[in-house]
Amino acid sequence: MKAVGARLPRYDGVGHATGRTVYVDDVRVNGMLHVKALRSPYHHAAIKRLDTSRAEQMPGVAAIVTHADVPLLVYGHLSALGIPADEPLLGKEDVRYKGQPIAVVAAEDTDAAQAAVDAIDIEFEELPALFDMRKAFDADAPQIHHWGTIYPHFEGEMNVRQIRKGNVEQAFEQADRIIQGVYRPAAIEQMPLETQVGLSVPEPDGRFTIYSCTQALYFSMGVVAAHLQMPLNKFKFVGGTVGGGFGGKVDTATETLCTLLAQKSGRPVKWRWTREEEFLCSSTRAPWHMEIIDGVTSDGWILGRKMLTLHDSGGYARFSPYGVTKHSFHHTGAYTIPNLHFDGYVCFTNRVPTSAMRGYGVTSVSFAVETHMSRIAEELGVDPYELRLKNANRIGDTSPNGIRYMDPSTVDVLHAIAGATDTELAAPYSDATREMRSGEWLPGHLVGQLSHSEDH
Amino acid sequence: MNIVVNGNNRTVESPPLTPLLHVLREELDVLSPKAGCENGGCGACTVLVDGTPRRSCLTAVGSVPDAQVTTVEGLGAPESMSDVQQAFVHYCAAQCGFCTPGMIIAATAYLEGGGSADRAEISEALAGHVCRCTGYLKILDAVAAARDGGFDLSTTAESPHTTVLT
Ligand code: FES
Ligand code: FES
Repeated sequence: MKAVGARLPRYDGVGHATGRTVYVDDVRVNGMLHVKALRSPYHHAAIKRLDTSRAEQMPGVAAIVTHADVPLLVYGHLSALGIPADEPLLGKEDVRYKGQPIAVVAAEDTDAAQAAVDAIDIEFEELPALFDMRKAFDADAPQIHHWGTIYPHFEGEMNVRQIRKGNVEQAFEQADRIIQGVYRPAAIEQMPLETQVGLSVPEPDGRFTIYSCTQALYFSMGVVAAHLQMPLNKFKFVGGTVGGGFGGKVDTATETLCTLLAQKSGRPVKWRWTREEEFLCSSTRAPWHMEIIDGVTSDGWILGRKMLTLHDSGGYARFSPYGVTKHSFHHTGAYTIPNLHFDGYVCFTNRVPTSAMRGYGVTSVSFAVETHMSRIAEELGVDPYELRLKNANRIGDTSPNGIRYMDPSTVDVLHAIAGATDTELAAPYSDATREMRSGEWLPGHLVGQLSHSEDH
Repeated sequence: MNIVVNGNNRTVESPPLTPLLHVLREELDVLSPKAGCENGGCGACTVLVDGTPRRSCLTAVGSVPDAQVTTVEGLGAPESMSDVQQAFVHYCAAQCGFCTPGMIIAATAYLEGGGSADRAEISEALAGHVCRCTGYLKILDAVAAARDGGFDLSTTAESPHTTVLT
């Protein structure tokens, strides 16, 4: 426990400040090849012909990998969580977003690799594309995913992530006011300063040493091993020095293809994405569409919430169903609402697949909930701190998914914000605590929730 | 042609239009300047050319014959860090560290040019250097403190930007 509360120096600070830290792109190995990818120029297209024979003859080319070279083409990152596999490592029959990789070339330098990419013979048939997730529900929406435009495998077979708690219709009848809001945060590129980069080195014993900028080393090992259909002990991963990630380096972007190219060429293969590739082709935080309808009393108790969430997953599922599930668990934010009706959908569009970024699935809903809280306070003419402190999670309250809070910090955080901003709170708000509700903190609509949670 | 990198005479074989960043990293194995964008947009590749900060990704090597090029490797080794380098360590101004070489080069040039500890002026001097990790405040802390030197590197500075929940 020597580290807790101590102001220790950063273990890597001196390396960073003297330029000695070795990032993946700084690793030098003799005979290294460089990679360029053939990427889809269309948002949505069928692949009619793919022929790499001319490109293979180009000067400096050591190996080309297409879908035909991948032992397990379609692998589900989260199949262990019940999300079936849907995304091929390289486009085969179709491409569903602009920039989707179809083939990769390893050559003596990037210019030779790019020349070979340009020489690949490929024919597309462009197909109608879908960009607005709200249109995914239209009967005539372009069909872009073999599962349809809505992810259909929640709990095995549902197209919606649902939460039902209490009786929201009854809560709305008892409410003095119904207050609605729509919240639509846009996609954001994580934009680490270090772009996606990987280096795979074939070793004489048939193993591969893989230098990776991943945020999730063991996850990436599993992904590479699955696509190559090789046991984990064939891979030595070197990682931990990440030039920024912010969620954008959870998806395994380069390691698998570098290793397939290293296997085919017998040489070390490095692939560093350009900034343009990073912006156009790497996963982003998802755009979300959230509609909140709350039934409230005129003195600021939230009796019930109805919420609809649409999540833009891009062309494939990746981690999106997991993100929406997390989102649903957090859809009351740091507050307690006893009557809930939540529906969340994962929509497929022809955007780049979306993925993690700083509080995956939760940041979006926190933005919506906090904005909505301020809207309620404004419409009721109630102080925004008082509204929040009233409805704040307390010991014994339950989350949307039925977890009983043992030590919620909402009240303490609100008091700290008030302190830091020199905001005077009146009693009883100034002496609110996280302790179990009683007295005036326990209005009728919350009584049932408490006794219910004590039963279990 | 020749350039002088961190005091060492180096011969350059690359064609004159090759970006200095590429020459440093790929031909001369000087690895601290980073390829963040190769488009002049991020500042991670910044080096001193004859004492002036330049984006090495936009500088054709042929345009700087015989120049004195300085990178963070040349400012100080781990045992002999400059005050700016020490300040970055002490204030945790380097998080992932990828922007740090460019930041330290720009901050060094600013302070050597007589720059003050005024945060607005430091921000102006570091404009165009993108950092995605720190939120910049700790970088401003470090640069403002750098001139004083004598940092205790066995500990990390108290940050005025942190609120501790009690
Ligand atoms: S790499 Fe030169 S400014 Fe970004
Ligand atoms: S420390 Fe990571 S980008 Fe600045």
